[in-house]
Amino acid sequence: MDPIKLTIDGKEVATTKGKTVIEAAAEIGIDIPHYCYHPKLSIAGNCRMCLVEIERMPKLQIACNMPVVEGMSVLTQSPKVLAIRKAVMEFLLVNHPLDCPICDQAGECWLQDYYMQHDLQGSRFQERKEHDRKREVFGPNVVFDGERCIKCTRCVRFFQEVTRTDELSVVNRGDHSTIALFPGTVLDNPLSGNVVDICPVGALTDRDFRFKVRVWYLQKTSSICPGCSTGCNVSVETYQNRIARFKPRINEAVNSHWLCDEGRYCFHDLTGGERLTTPMIRQEGGLAPTTWERALEAMLSGLRGSIPLAGILSGRNTNEEAFLFAKLMKKLSQDCALEVLYQERELSEVQKILMSPDRSPNFRGAREMGVSSNGGLEPLMRKLFDGHFSGAYVVGEDLMGINNDQDRIRQMLQKLSFLVVQDIRMTETAQLAHVVLPSTHFGEKEGTYTNRNGRVQKLNIATIAPEGALQDCEIFVRLLDAAGDKVSYSTPVEVFDALAKEVPAYHGLNYAAIGEQGIQLGGGEAKQQ
Amino acid sequence: MEKVLLRNIDVPDSHTLAVYSSRGGYRPWQEVVKNIRPEQLIEEIKASGLRGRGGAGFPTGMKWGFVPKDSPKPKYMVCNADESEPGTFKDRLLIEKDPHAIIEGTLMAAYAIQSHTAFIYIRGELAFGANILERAVDEATQAGYIGKNILGSGYDVDLIVHRGAGAYICGEETALLSSLEGGRGWPKVKPPFPATHGLFGCPTVVNNVETLAALPWIIEHGAAAYAAMGTDKSKGTKLFSVSGHISKPGVYELEMGYPLMKFLEEDCGGVPNGRRLKGVIPGGGSMPVLRPDELEKVNLDYESVQAAGSLLGSGGVIVMDDGTCMVRAAWNLARFFAHESCGQCSPCREGCHWMEKIFHRIEQGEGRKGDLELILNVSGNIMGNTICPFGDAAAMPAAAFVRKYREEFEEHITQKRCTIRNGVME
Amino acid sequence: MALEFSPETYKKFEETVNRYPKKEAALLPVLCLAQKEFGHLGQEAIEYVARLMEQSPARVCGVVSFYTMLNTKPIGWHHIQVCRTLPCALRGAERLTSFISKTLGIEVGQTTADGRFTLSEVECLASCGTAPMMQINDDYYENLTDEKVTEVLASLK
Repeated sequence: MDPIKLTIDGKEVATTKGKTVIEAAAEIGIDIPHYCYHPKLSIAGNCRMCLVEIERMPKLQIACNMPVVEGMSVLTQSPKVLAIRKAVMEFLLVNHPLDCPICDQAGECWLQDYYMQHDLQGSRFQERKEHDRKREVFGPNVVFDGERCIKCTRCVRFFQEVTRTDELSVVNRGDHSTIALFPGTVLDNPLSGNVVDICPVGALTDRDFRFKVRVWYLQKTSSICPGCSTGCNVSVETYQNRIARFKPRINEAVNSHWLCDEGRYCFHDLTGGERLTTPMIRQEGGLAPTTWERALEAMLSGLRGSIPLAGILSGRNTNEEAFLFAKLMKKLSQDCALEVLYQERELSEVQKILMSPDRSPNFRGAREMGVSSNGGLEPLMRKLFDGHFSGAYVVGEDLMGINNDQDRIRQMLQKLSFLVVQDIRMTETAQLAHVVLPSTHFGEKEGTYTNRNGRVQKLNIATIAPEGALQDCEIFVRLLDAAGDKVSYSTPVEVFDALAKEVPAYHGLNYAAIGEQGIQLGGGEAKQQ
Repeated sequence: MEKVLLRNIDVPDSHTLAVYSSRGGYRPWQEVVKNIRPEQLIEEIKASGLRGRGGAGFPTGMKWGFVPKDSPKPKYMVCNADESEPGTFKDRLLIEKDPHAIIEGTLMAAYAIQSHTAFIYIRGELAFGANILERAVDEATQAGYIGKNILGSGYDVDLIVHRGAGAYICGEETALLSSLEGGRGWPKVKPPFPATHGLFGCPTVVNNVETLAALPWIIEHGAAAYAAMGTDKSKGTKLFSVSGHISKPGVYELEMGYPLMKFLEEDCGGVPNGRRLKGVIPGGGSMPVLRPDELEKVNLDYESVQAAGSLLGSGGVIVMDDGTCMVRAAWNLARFFAHESCGQCSPCREGCHWMEKIFHRIEQGEGRKGDLELILNVSGNIMGNTICPFGDAAAMPAAAFVRKYREEFEEHITQKRCTIRNGVME
Repeated sequence: MALEFSPETYKKFEETVNRYPKKEAALLPVLCLAQKEFGHLGQEAIEYVARLMEQSPARVCGVVSFYTMLNTKPIGWHHIQVCRTLPCALRGAERLTSFISKTLGIEVGQTTADGRFTLSEVECLASCGTAPMMQINDDYYENLTDEKVTEVLASLK
C-alpha cells in the first residue's frame, strides 16, 4: 500500500494510493457532502454534490471519483465550491415537490440537511414542475415517489451489485428519467428494505413505518437484531416506549451497512400482543395470578420433585441469562438436560448474503454458557416425546410452534408432572404450565449475544418492560437465592463479569471491551472497535 | 489545395471496392500492415499534426499513444459514426460515398494500437449508410484486407458495423462505449479514461469518421505533405458542412485557416434572397454563435475560431440571415439539448430543461424581468460541472445567443412578442 | 401464444450475438431485430429479449426507453419523422410539418385512422445541407417542397 500525502483545506492527510479524495477527507473527519456516493456501491458521479476544488486543476472535480495524488491540494470550502453546492442544490430542487409536510424522510432528509448546511437560498425556478408517479407500491416493504427522486441511482446499484437481483432500472431520458420496476414484477427480495435506508430522500420509504412518527421524536438505542445468529447491528428506534422501527448500524465485521427484511421487521412478532404482568399458578379451575414469592416457591419445589428435568432456553436469551439458567438448573438437578432452541431452514441465495439459517441469535453463546447437554435440540425433543422427563422449565419459547404436530406436542406437555413457562405473553405452552412467570423481550434487556461466528455483541435497553414483568436475570437470581445458592451478582454487567471469569473463552472480556462494535472471541481479527 | 477527404466522392460508384482500389485504395493499408511497425505509424500520425475531427480536436497520434502497449487486456478501436451534431453532415457523405476510406482508416488505427477487434458505431437513422458500410466491409473482407493473418502479415483484425438507435449523446465517446456495451448511452465518469479503461474496461480508442478517413492519404503522401497544409497548430484539411440561409449549402473541403467570410461569400454563394447575414455558428449546434461584426478576422482553424470566442467543433457552419428570430433559434437549440440530455447528472438533467422552459416562455411572449440573467447564471452553473461535455454543449449556445443578441431578447420580453418575424422561422 | 422469433430470425439473433466479444453488447441489434419482427417492443417482447439475453427485464426496459428509435407502442406502417433542429427550422421545417399534418389530418405524435402514417418530429438527421427533409422508416427524403411531399405520401401504401 503506497503511502500518499496530500492536503485538504490546509490539513495534511497521510493516506494510501487508491483512495479517493472523499475517502481521504473522511479519514480526517471532513465530511464532503454527497448523494450518489456510497462506500459499498460503485461510483456513479451523477449528483455533483461532492465537487471540490483541486489546486492547479481548472475545473472542479468530484471528490468521490478523484484518486489521491502525492502533493495534491484540495479545497472543500473555497468560494467556488460553496457556490457550486448552492447551484447543485438548486438543480436538485428544480422539479422536487414541496412534500416535506407529508414526507416520512423529513428530519433525516439529505436535501433538507444539506440545504441548511450549504444553501439557505431560495430557488429561482419559476416554471411548471415535471410530474411523476407518487405512492407507487414497489413491494411489500417499499413505496416509491418519482417526484421526490433525485436519480442518484443508489437503489438501482444496490440491486445490481449487492443482491444481484436487478429489479430496478432507470427508464427514459433527460428530465423524464425515473426509477421503475418492470411491469408485473414486485420488489420483494429478502434485502429490499435496505434501499429505504440508502435513499437519501423520501423517494423510497418504508411501508411499515409510513406516517407512524416523525423521526425527530424517536429515541435511538444501539442493539443487536434478535432475528438470527448473524447478529446484525441495529439501532432500535422507539417512540412512547414502543419500537417504531429498526435501522442497521454499520459493522464491517458483521452486516456491513445492511439488514435483511425479516430481521428489520421481526420486532413486531417478538414484542407484540398482550403482555403477562403477574406470575400465574395452576389451581383448581386453571391459572390464577399470584405473588412472586409464592410462584418461585411453588416452582422450586415442583421442579425438584419432578426429576428428571429438562430445560429449554430461547435463542433470544442473552449470555448473562443463559449463564444463570445453566447454574440454576444444575443446582436443581445435577444431570438435567439443557438445550437452547435451535432449528435450521433452507436459505435462498439472496438470503445467504446476510442471514443465518436459524432464528436463534444467541444459540452459540447459550451453549458456551452451559445450556447444552445431549447434542442439540433434536435428541432432547425426542426424549421429551418419549416421556423421559418429568419436569420442564421452558424460557422464552412457545413449543407449540416447533413443528406442525401440535396435538403431539400438547399431549407431551400435558404429560409432564411439572411445567414452568417464563415468557412475555400467555402462549399456548404457557396455558399448559403449572407456573407462569412474566419476563422481558430483547428490547427490554441489557446483555450480550454471541453470534454464530463467535462475536460477542451488546444489547441495550430500548423500551421499559411493563409493570409486573421481571428481567430474566432477576428471576434466575431470585431462584438461585431461594435454592440456596446466593450469588454476589444480579445486574447484567455484574453477571457478565462473573461469566467472563468462569467461561474460559470469555476471559478478559467486559462491556467496555465489547463497546459498540462487539468483540471477536479467540482474539482473532477483532479488537475493541 | 489537394483534396484529401473528398478525393473520391464525385466518381461514380466510389463506394465500391473496385473503384476505390482502382484509385489506389488499400495500397497504404497493405504498406502499413506488412512494412510499418505500430510505433512508427503512431509517430507518423503525430508528425502529421492530425487532430480529431469529431469536435474536440485532440491530437490523434497522441491519443493513440495513451494506450498501454503491454496491457494484457484486449484492445478495441472504434470509429465514431454517430454524427448527430446539428448542422453537421460531413461524415454521412463519406459513409455513403467513400466507405472504404473510412474502413481503411479504421484498420490502420486498429493496427496502430494493436487492436484485433474494431467497430464502426453508426447512428441508427443512417440505415442507407449502414448498409453501404456493411457491403463495403464484406468486400474488404473478401479481398483479404480484414480477417486473420491479413496479407500474410500475421496481424488479425475483425471489423463490426454496429448500429445505434437514436441518441445524440452516443456521439460522446464514453456514452458510445456504454451503448456499445449494450447499455443506456450514459457517459462514464473519468478517470479512468478510455485509453486504459474503455470498452468492457479494456484499452480503447474512439476516433471520428473524418479523422480516420484522412489516414490513408496521410500514409500514402506522408506526414510532411499533410502538415504542409493548414496553419501552424491546425494542420491539413477539414470538411465543413454549410447549412441554413446560404445559397450553396453542402460539404466543402478546405485547407485549415481558410477565411470564414471569404468561404461564405465566395465559395458558398453568400446569403440568398437579398437578405443580410445576422449570425453564424461555426462549429455545430453546440458552439457559440458569432455576430457579423465578430466574423471579420475569423479563419476556419481551431485557434482563430477560439480567439473569436467560439470553437471550430465539428465544422458545422449554420448561417442565419436577418429574418431569423434569435430567440426562437436559441429556443430551438435549447429544446434539442433538453431532448437529448441523457439525464444522469443533476446540472444537465434539470438545467437543460429549465433553460428550454425559460426560452420558450420568452419566445411565446411571456418573458419576465430577470430571465436573461437567469439563463446566463444557470448556463454558467452547468458549464464544467457535468459528467461529460454535453452540459457545456447545451450551456454555451444558450449563453451566447443571450449575450450576442441581448437587445433582441430584451425587446422580445418587453414587447411580449417577436419583433423580427412574428415567431415563425421561415 | 407466447411471443418468439421465427426460426430465420432466431438464426439471425444467434449470428448477431456471435459477432460480439461479449453477449451483452448485442442487446441493441437484438432489440432492433425484435422491433422489426414484432412491430414494436411491448412488455412481452421485452420479456422475451430479456430471457434470450439473460438479463433482467427491468434492465432491458431501461435500455429500450433510452433510445428514440425503439418504440414501446405500435406505430403506423410509415413513420414520418420530420427533422426540426435549427438548420432545418431555418429552411422551413415547421411549415413542412404543418403541411404534412394538415394533409394527413393528424397532429404530431398521432397516427392516421387507417394506420398508414405516424407523424413525429425528430432532431438533427445529418441532412442539414438538403433541408427541409424527413425520414420515413429507413429512407431519407430531402430538399422537400409541398409538391414533393404530396408525391411521396401518395406513393406510400
